[in-house]
This record gives sequence, C-alpha cells and structure tokens, in this order.
Amino acid sequence: MKKNLLSFFLLLSSFSFVYAQNRVISGKVTDQKDGSPLPGVSVIVKGSPSVGTQSDLNGLYSLSLPKDTRTLIFRYIGYKEADLSVSGTTLNVQLESDPRQLTEVLVVGYGTQKRANVTGAITSISGKEVENTPVTTFEQALQGKTSGVNIQADGGKLGQGVKISIRGVASVSAGTQPLVVVDGIIINQTDLSSNGAATNPLADIDFNDIESYEVLKDASASAIYGARASNGVIIITTKKGKAGTAKIGFNAQFGFSEPSHHRQFLNSQQWLQIEQRSVLGAANQDVLNGYASTLAEALANESLNSTFTTLAAGNTKWNKYNTDWEKQAFQSAPQQQYDLNFSGGNDKTTYYFGGQALNQTGIIKANAFQRYSGRVNIDSKIFSNFDVGMKLDFTHTYNQRVSNDDQFNTPLEIVALSPITPVIDPRTNLVSGTPPGDPNGDFPLYYDPLISVNNAYYHTNVNRTLGNIYANWDIVNHFTFRSEFGMDQTNQTEDSYANSLTARDTGTPNGLGNDQTTSIIHYTVNNYFTYKNVFAKDHSLELTAGTSYEYSHLMANSVSGKNFPSDAYKEIASAALISAGSSSQSEYSFVSYFTRANYAYKGKYLLSGSVRTDASSRFGANNRYGTFPAGSVGWILSQEDFLKDSRSLSELKLRASYGLTGNAEIGDYPSLGLFTGDAGYNGTGGQRFSQLANPNLRWEKTLQLDLGFDFGFFNNRFSGTFDYYRKNTRDLLLNVNVPETLGIATQTQNLGTMYNQGYELSLSSDNLVGKFKWNTNFNISYNKNVVTNVRGQIINDGADLNRVIEGQQIGVFYGREYAGVNPANGDAVYYLNTKNGDGSLNKGTTNDYNAAQNVVLGNPTPNITGGITNTFSYQGVDLSFTIYGSFGNKIYNAAGQYMSTAAGNGLDNQTIDQLKYWNKPGDITNVPEPREFYANGTNPSSRYLSSGSYVRLKTLTLGYTFPKDMLAKIKVDRLRIFVNAYNLFLITKYTGWDPEVNTDFLASNINLGNDFYSVPQPRTVTFGLNVGL
Amino acid sequence: MKKLNKLYIGVLGTLLVFSACNKDLNLKPYQQLDQSQAIHTAQDVQITLVGAYNRAGLSDLYGGGVFFYPDLMATQTTIDWHGTFQGLTQMTNQQIPNDNGFVNSLWLDAYQVINQANNVIANLDKVAAGDKDRVEGEAKFLRGLTYFDLARIFGKTWNDGDPAVNPGVPIVTTPTTVISASSYVARASVSQVYQQAITDLTTAEAKLPADNNYSANSFSAAAILARLYLQKGDYANAATEANKVISSGNFSLNKTYAAEFPYPNQTAVHVDNTSEDVFAIQVTSQQGVNGLNTYFASSNDGGRGDVHVVPSFLNNFESGDDRAGMFQYDDPTDPTSTLRCHKFDNVVGNVHIIRLAELYLIRAEANLRKSGAPTGDTPANDIKVIRSRAGLTTPATVTLNDVLTERVRELAFEGGFFFHDAKRLGQTIGTLPFNSDKLVFPIPLQDINANPNLKQNPGY
Repeated sequence: MKKNLLSFFLLLSSFSFVYAQNRVISGKVTDQKDGSPLPGVSVIVKGSPSVGTQSDLNGLYSLSLPKDTRTLIFRYIGYKEADLSVSGTTLNVQLESDPRQLTEVLVVGYGTQKRANVTGAITSISGKEVENTPVTTFEQALQGKTSGVNIQADGGKLGQGVKISIRGVASVSAGTQPLVVVDGIIINQTDLSSNGAATNPLADIDFNDIESYEVLKDASASAIYGARASNGVIIITTKKGKAGTAKIGFNAQFGFSEPSHHRQFLNSQQWLQIEQRSVLGAANQDVLNGYASTLAEALANESLNSTFTTLAAGNTKWNKYNTDWEKQAFQSAPQQQYDLNFSGGNDKTTYYFGGQALNQTGIIKANAFQRYSGRVNIDSKIFSNFDVGMKLDFTHTYNQRVSNDDQFNTPLEIVALSPITPVIDPRTNLVSGTPPGDPNGDFPLYYDPLISVNNAYYHTNVNRTLGNIYANWDIVNHFTFRSEFGMDQTNQTEDSYANSLTARDTGTPNGLGNDQTTSIIHYTVNNYFTYKNVFAKDHSLELTAGTSYEYSHLMANSVSGKNFPSDAYKEIASAALISAGSSSQSEYSFVSYFTRANYAYKGKYLLSGSVRTDASSRFGANNRYGTFPAGSVGWILSQEDFLKDSRSLSELKLRASYGLTGNAEIGDYPSLGLFTGDAGYNGTGGQRFSQLANPNLRWEKTLQLDLGFDFGFFNNRFSGTFDYYRKNTRDLLLNVNVPETLGIATQTQNLGTMYNQGYELSLSSDNLVGKFKWNTNFNISYNKNVVTNVRGQIINDGADLNRVIEGQQIGVFYGREYAGVNPANGDAVYYLNTKNGDGSLNKGTTNDYNAAQNVVLGNPTPNITGGITNTFSYQGVDLSFTIYGSFGNKIYNAAGQYMSTAAGNGLDNQTIDQLKYWNKPGDITNVPEPREFYANGTNPSSRYLSSGSYVRLKTLTLGYTFPKDMLAKIKVDRLRIFVNAYNLFLITKYTGWDPEVNTDFLASNINLGNDFYSVPQPRTVTFGLNVGL
Repeated sequence: MKKLNKLYIGVLGTLLVFSACNKDLNLKPYQQLDQSQAIHTAQDVQITLVGAYNRAGLSDLYGGGVFFYPDLMATQTTIDWHGTFQGLTQMTNQQIPNDNGFVNSLWLDAYQVINQANNVIANLDKVAAGDKDRVEGEAKFLRGLTYFDLARIFGKTWNDGDPAVNPGVPIVTTPTTVISASSYVARASVSQVYQQAITDLTTAEAKLPADNNYSANSFSAAAILARLYLQKGDYANAATEANKVISSGNFSLNKTYAAEFPYPNQTAVHVDNTSEDVFAIQVTSQQGVNGLNTYFASSNDGGRGDVHVVPSFLNNFESGDDRAGMFQYDDPTDPTSTLRCHKFDNVVGNVHIIRLAELYLIRAEANLRKSGAPTGDTPANDIKVIRSRAGLTTPATVTLNDVLTERVRELAFEGGFFFHDAKRLGQTIGTLPFNSDKLVFPIPLQDINANPNLKQNPGY
C-alpha cells in the first residue's frame, strides 16, 4: 500500500520531464523480493536530471537517451536507489526494498507528509516489523519497538487491559491512553467489561492487516487532534492492494504457551510448622494482653487442630497430602492462527481482502481468546480527479474470561489454599469442596477456583464493524477536497453462569446467571480541503482546513437470574427468579474545526502550524469550546552548502515544536449536578444526590515543548533521532476531595498541574550489508513525572499505597516504612519517621503501626525503558529478536498481606521466604514472629515493596525463505517457514510471578505497579509458514 | 460549463465542511436528573426520602457496619477473628489507622443519609398537608439516628470528661447544592450532636404515625431516644421513652427467640418485620445488604465466616437458655470445631436496628438506676418477660448486674453493645480503659485533608 501512496504523492508533486532524443532504451522494473512490477519508478539519466521518465503500471518504461548517457538512475521511494550502466536497448531492473525508506512518507492527522519535511516528533513502525507476533493485540507486539511509548499489560490473561502511555502519564483523573485513529477515523476505545477487570477494545483489530503505525508524540504532530491529543496519538493505516497481478498470501502458525515464571509456596510440612508456630505466637500474646490467664488456656483458645483435620480432608495425619496448588491454576495452552489475504487491482481500482482466524488458549485455566475477522479495502479512481474508497473491518471475538484478580474464584487465588488439602477429596472423589462434600463451608480453606473451572463460565462475545467510506476530489490543480464518513459499531454480550456446585462462591444454591449486552455506535464525519503547491521553485506550501463531527452512543442492559431447575439449564430463560436487571445509556459529541499549514523554503527551512477548536457535550455550558494551537520549525542542515558535500554526514535536521493539546477523557456528564434514581428501598423507587455541579468545567491542557534532531551518517547506514520534551499539564481534570460532610466525596474540577519531562534516543545501524546482513535498532527513553500542584491534597484511589502527592510521581508509593523485626521479641517494627526539631526524620522504630508516619517509599512507573532489536539475514535465513528493558520502578505485592505474613493473617499458604520467621530472642530476620490473626507486620508498608526492574527477551523470530527458483517449479511465489518466540527469558530481582504487572481490579491512573494474584505473562513458542502465490 | 459545475460543487463542499456539523452539544444524561429538576413535586420529595433509607441501608452503616465495627473493638475475649480484611483486623487489634477504608465509608455513608434527609426537610413545602408530618418525621428520624451513632463512634463517650467541650462531629442541616465557604464545617461538641439527635428524634416521635408499615413510626423514634438517653445516663427519660414503646401494645415479643432471626427452610428470602421489630432496615434479594451476614455467617450461608465465637462465651448462658441455641459448633459433636453465631444466617434477612426486647432491658435498667417509683413496670417483671421467652425462670428481685448480664445474653452481636455498653459503664475494653483515645474512632484522613476546619481526635 505504501508504494501506491508514495507514487500517488509523487504524482501530486507533478514532475515535468523533458524528453530528449537519440537512442531509446526500454525495460521492466520489478521488485527484487517477489518479482512484481513496480509502477511509477523514476528513471533518470545520470548527469542530466531533466531527462527521465516513469515506469507504467506493468513496470515498463521506455526512454530516449542523450548520446553520452552512461548510467541510469532508478529511484523509487521505499526502495534502494539503483545506478545501472547502459548497454544495449533493454535494461531490466530489480529494486531492493529499503525498510528504513518505507517511512519516507508519514501518515499524519488528516493527510500525509514527507518524512524529510516533518518537524514534529513522529515514530513510524512498519506493520511488517510486528506481524505474526504470537500475541493478541498490536500493542503487545509493539512493546520495545519505539521510544517514548510505555506499553504494559495488566497481566497475562488473554484480551485484557493494556496500558499505553506516550511520554508519561499526563492526567490524574481523566484518561491517559493515546487516541487511536484507524484509516483517518477516531475509534471507540471504551472498555466495556463488567467484571472489574478491563478488556482491551483494540483486541478486535487483526494486526496482520495493518500496514503502518505512526505514533504522534509532540504537540506539533498531535495538536491537529486538539482536545483528544494530550496523551499522544497512534495512527493506524491498514493495507491496500496495489495495481498488478492478483496476489494471495497465506500464513499459518501453531504453538503453545506456558507461564513465564512460577512462584514458590510452602509444602505441607513447612506450612504446618509455621501455622503451629503462629498458634503459639498468638497464645503468648493472649497471655501478655491478659485475654487468657495461662498459656494452656490460650493455646486451647487459639488451637487450629480441628481446622487442620478439616483442611486435610478429615485426616488426623495432617500432612497426608502435599498439594502444589500453584501448578493447578495453570494449563498447557495451545494456540493457532491462520491468515489469508488477496490483493491486487488495475490502474483504476485496487483491492485488499484479508481474513484471520485466531484461537489462543490462556495459560490460566478457563481462559481463551478467539478472533475471526475479515477486511475489505477498496480504492477506486472513478474519474480522473475523483477517488472513492471503503475500508471495512468486521470482527468477531470470543473471550472465555476468568474473574478479576480479587475474586476467590479466579484461578490464581488458588495459591491461598492449604497444601495439606488434596485436589480431589477421596471421600467424594470430587474436586475438594464440591458439594455436598463441604457441609460447613470451611473445606477447603477458601472456595476452590477449580470448581468454577468446570461449573461456571464467563463468555464475552464482541461483534465489531469498523469502517469508513471516503471521497477524494481534486477540484482544481493543487486543491483537493476529502470527505470521510466513519462508523465504529461495537456489540458486546457477556454471558455468565455458575451452576449449583459453585454455591459457596456465589451464595446462591441453585445456579446464578447473568447476561449483559452493551452496544456502542460511534460515528465520525470529516470534511477537509488540502492545498499543495510550490511557488517560485523554492517555496513549498501545504494547507489543510476542515471540520470533524463525532458522536457516540452507548446502550447497555443486563439481567440476572437464580433458581435454575437443574445444572443442565443454563440460560436465564430457565431461571425461576429474575433477581436483577438494568438498562442504561449515555452519549457524547464533539464538533471540531481544524487547520494546518506546512511551509518549506528551499527544502531546508521548515515551518509548520496548526490550530484546532473543539467543542464537546462533556464540558460545562460556560466553557464548552477549547482552542489548541501548535507550531514548529525545522532546519535541515545537511542541505546547507557547508554540509552538503560531507562524505560521512548524510542527514542532519534540527526540530523544535511547541503547542497546546487537551484531554477530554472523563465521564460523559461530569459538569452537571445530578440525582440518580437508583436508590430504591424494599421495592420502592428512590433517588439520591450523586454529583456536584461544576458548570465551569473545561478542558485539561498540556503545553508541550519538543526539541530534537535527526541525523544520518554514511548514506544513512547509521542514523538516529534524539528528542527532549517537556509536557506541562494544567487545569487538571481532577476528582477533588471535598468535605464528605456534604454527602459526597469528590467533585470534578480543573485543579492542579503536573509535568512530564524526558529524553528519547533511537538509533539504527546497518552493521553488515551484503550477503550477510545485520541491522540493529535501539531505543531508550527516560521520563520524569512530577505532580506539581494538587492544592496540597493527598489523593487515594483505593489501593494500599498509591497516592498523588505534590512533588512526586503520580501514584507514588506512600506509607509506613518497614524496619524489620525487633530481635528481642519478634515484633514487626516500623520507622517512626516523625519530624525532628531540625526537620530531619526520626529513624527510631516502633511496633505501633499507627505511631509511624507515612513517607514516600518509591515510584510505581519505570523512568527508563528501552528496547534493542537485532535482525540478521543470510541467504534465505532470517533471525530477529527484540530485548526489552524497564528500570527504576517498584512493585507492591498487595497480596503480601495474605501470602507473606508469617501466618499472621489467616491460614493462607505462605511464600517460601516466610520460613525465615523470628523464632526466639536474638534472631535477626526480616520476617516477624508468626502470630495467628495478630497482624504482626501485615499492614500495608514497604515490607511488600520490591524492585520491578527487568530485562526480557520479548520476541524472537527465526525463519527460512525457500529460494525462488525452487518454488517456481511448484508455482509458488514465496514460501517461508519460521519459529516465533515470545517472552523467552526474563532477568529480574522481582520474586513474584512477573514484574510486568498491574493487577486488573485496581488498575487506574493512580493505582500502578500492584501485584495481586496476577497472572504472569505467557511464554509462547509457535511454528508457522508464510506462503505467497 | 465544466468549470462552472466545479465551482458550484466547490461552494457546496465548502458549505458542507463549515456548517454541517453543528449538531446539539447539549446532551443530557439518561439515568440521572439535573439537580435543578430533581425535587419539584411531592413525589420527588417522597423518592428522596426513600433514597435516605437506601443510603442508611449501606453495608458500612445500618446494613450492619455501624454496629459491627464498634463491636470488633470490644470483643477480644468473645470472638476469635478469622477475617482477612486488614481494615477490620485493625479494629480487633484496637489500632485503627486514620485512613481505614471501612471507617471512611461509614462516615461518608452517614453524611449521605443526612444530606438526603436535609433535602427532604428543605422541601417539605412541596408535600401535601396530610403527608407532611410523616415525611418530616421519617427524615428527622433517620437524621437523628445517624447523628446519635456518629456522636458515640467519633466522639468521646458522654461519661468521659465534659461532653459540652469534647468534639463530636460536624452538624449539617441544609442540603448540598454547591461548594462554598460554609461547606467546611467544624466539629460540634458531643453534647451539641446529642442535642441535635434528641431534637430530631423528638420531632419525629411527635410527627410520625404510630403505624407506618416498615418505615419509621413514632415508636421507632421513641425507642432510639430511649437508647440515647440510656447512653448519656438520663435514666428518667430513658425509662419514659422505653415505656412508651412497651405500653403502646403495638409490639410483642416473638414466641421464640429464634423467631426474631427468621431463616425459613434455611433459604435466603426476605422476611417482613416481626412483631418484635420496632425498626429494622429492609433487605431483599434485589436491594440492600445484611452486612452482619457477611462476617458472621459461614460461606454456605452467603457470608465469609470471619467471626468465630470463643467457646467460653457460652459460659454466659444458664443451662436451658434458648438463646444459647443461636450459637452452634460447625460440627455439633466436636467442641473444638468452629463456634458461630447464627443470628444472621439469612443473607437477605432484615438488619434489626432496635427491637422490643431491648426496650424492656432499657426500662429495667433505667428504673433500677433512677430515683422514684418505677416507670411502667418493675425491673423484675421486665426481666421476667425476657427470660420467660428464653425458657428461664426469674427471681423476684433483680440487680443492676442481672440486667446487664441479661443484655449480653439477649443482645450479643446486635447493636454494638459490647462496645457502647462497656463505654457507658466505664469498663475496661480488652486491656484499654473505657476512655482510651484508641477507643474513639479516627475522623477519616481524607476528610481531615479536605476540610481544614476539621480537627482529628487525639491519638491519630
């Protein structure tokens, strides 16, 4: 597609060739890779640049040559230039594609721009670089491929939420995900999950249909999207057919996944040892506190003996069973994927038809993801000056989900169960705890998630249609009008059911069903004019102006039922009691006006400016409109006379941009004072006050400065980009704490400021060229986030330690500082951290959690991330791998209060490190004395914080492409076999499952870096083939 | 001609670009009403009142938390806490951090009830004359009840120092519309908050009908007043108010103690108030929550089973006392198995706020303590009513201690009495004296930060 786009662009630039006379040479230009003809290739006589032609649709050219012609130059954007000497009258040429040059034209908001003239910070990634990565969504595949973009999945469940932040998090209460634009249309990114853990709306996109990703990072690039652009923009362009013979592509891959890491828990003997020690510890405390007069009496009160017998399935030999429950949560996870596409066309019409079937199994039991998608992209020149086209993507996804991380029935909470409990209860030959084997609800210790695996389901079906039609009209020379109508329709049903055997979990004896339907209709109309011209040879001008209208309407309804006749009936049609039902709607609209001007003088002095005015239904009647201007300048030094002839330096461009963008990702009605009619009582309807009005609510604004330069040496064999940026966000859309005595806790206000500041460096090098090729791409980013003003508030979003505090990174860990264990008595102690007279902190210790003061304990977001990709090829063999690194953050194990307590908070099984507990006076350790339910050191503190830095081999691909001559015999154009690997190894000090974690039920702008029985990332290996016909 | 056409279409296109898009930006919510349109009619006021009950029934408040959390602070020798919610473990350890989430929810929920009631009271002019007293009475009942509980949870107990000086909680009596300087209310004294509660409850008692279905009636207000007067040591008034309820004849004790905790056929179904309930929060399978079920009932009965009763608690009961039957071992044959309180096994059972048996106990205690002739009946007769229902006989005279022991047997784990009684009686709680700073709940940190006029309790 890019080739066509480029040739289109070339045509627009209206080269006028002067034909000369003398001998004629002709030939065919083809793609070296697959032999397909290349139309629109410039053929120029060396030394006489005014003499030349272009190849036609079949790649054929013919040119009259001046007498002294020795060499012809073949130039085609996206391909390496070929200089060939002339002899005879026929010269056939094969051009070799140049992946770096593919980015010569970038897709930007409402148009395209020559890379050379770009003055904003834009990263372009070719779809080829990431296609066939064995993951569910494109963001996962992009991890580590570009600077300034931090991508993190909540956990290893399939189709779940993925957090993308471009140049840091720029908002406290409003959205922080970048805007995603597909083929010019802003798409719906609303998470429609109803189980407390986000799903990923981008998982509906088959990323093998994607031609390129452009990431707009600075204000100059993104401000054309105005109020939606503060978090950056990702522009996705899907594949297009190209004129020429029809092509068929087929990919298939098969493989399997497994957990990338296991966590160690106590075995039966170890568990019994620590539990019994904790009974003694608690009894000692009972006596000390006077709750019991003798140790014997206290021991009798605290005894767990009958509990042990219960948990050991009635055995008085408590360690008869030794179950490794952690292993029970996982399953072997096969996956397969098939892609088939057809493309081609003639000089008027091109087409691309793509389809995919993807079937992935989760590493966690009961989790799977399937996607069936089709795409039709058609572009047609119906008149010489009038193009129309349509891009249409229809997708069905089917996600077999598990509960959020905070539910007893989620598979990984199984680790809390006691190792002395057997998986199968020998008394019933059923999974332990399956009724009727659990009359008192205390065997096993908690509800066994394995019961849900076989007796409950939660299926999410999404049908999505995403498409647009456009018309492009060259009205007069240089003057184009484009109209786009885009529709993104999402229909989701969530169907869940739990049968009678799950009663301990659902609290419902005869089955519980819930069905929920959510649909979003989201449409966009874009209309804009483009004017492109070159004046007096040196002045190149490009103007764009237009409007956009966007409307989104969400409708949802749900129904729940109980009392099913038997476990064979699963639909709510059979529920004797309809226990709950609901419906709701909401909508929003945007009306926008935008304009942009790009000016270049002599191809080396660049100037660009854009303005967008947005109005949205989301904002207060008093402040509905916002205007977002941005400007940038660039200077291509390498085009200056003093550098033009440099042999080593091939490119040097300085860039600077400054501009304003906004953020409007808040609820649909945040400015209104509201009553909600959901406050019924005993069957009578009621209303309650639910939101404080703020008619002055307006846009959150980010002013961003970007200074950067691009450079290339040795004909860009070694090249790179460096950027410095500073994003100042003000008028934060903040849920401000108000006095709760008003009967409400927060109000959305424009209050506060924060900034993100950082550096990005990316380098690319062709280390070896020739037969053996070796290319290295490297990127590294540093970002510093500081909340500078929230009017002194300490904002809490419900996690143990994450807070928003002035002077700190958003979501900073803030709480009591754990000081270890008092060797004399086994008490957990904390640093007092009270202020001394001189302002220093008192580092004395206390065993009174309340006496210790909260202090900043660490950052939840890495400040340095980077990736390195090496690509090798030799003859038909290709090898590529990406290593991703993330540094500087801490992870809080929010489940530490259950799994790492020295058996001090419940009978949950403990992590292996708890065996180092304090046992007798004088013991030096970090693990306090076990005291059952005495919460000795189990309150939230730095005890459960650890380093989250890691380095990971994200992707590895090894392929072999069969030689063409061999394939010609079987009429195959291209055949490649490959092995893909994902998350092959990990280096980290983190002792939990996986440092790439943020537990799904807490995840928010503020709640970052929490682990809570979260599923680790999968380690996946697949084998596959690509066939081209 | 062609050029003209192009021009024409060009102009049309321009118009399309710059005019077609200005569709309505004034989109209104579907599930909510703008506050300016929420309360205009009598029906609007009535549904706001229903909303006040809805808020009162939240799990952290009269869904159970308002009674359960204080009890957790005072049951070191009666329960063995097996819960893993740290915020509750902190209560059992009598070490509540000022950012305890359960405490914050209780506080916020309470002021939601108050704000709902304030909205009702401010709009009484819209209510039909025949309905006005009832509506006002219900709103003031809920507001008075809530202020009383706030005062004794977040303020020092009445009998500790000078309640006219000790800080209680902020008093808000106007509905919230905007944030202004007057939104930052400071704490009133304990006695001012008690007085607010007394005024509200007294008005409610005067205005409410004697029978009002499951909603608050005049005796609900009298009953809470009786509890309040007992808490502040005003025994004459306590006896008077309790006597009003008992002598009304509108209520009668259930035949059996267990009948007050209905769980028909061990299935979770809503059961209407019994004849003994003076006021209860209604729970149905579709709305409301019984927060006591959550912690006391085993997971087979819809709870978490976090509260294990210490076996020695059974020593409080004489043999033959029916009430001991509410406490059962998981394995009846094994006294080392878990002992649970089965009062709250019905996951959609109503939450008892106050029931007739307590009023007999209040009248008996108040009559024993106050001077002059007993109001209504003798303490021995009152205790006899309670004990007879439990299958026990009663001596001809009873002492104060007898009454207090009877309160434990009758009311254990309901109403937060382990905590509130220990405080008014000046008893040691766990190892702490009744007036320990640790036995006053912290004002939630979030509100301390949001409202500079709000002062924290000592010790936090």
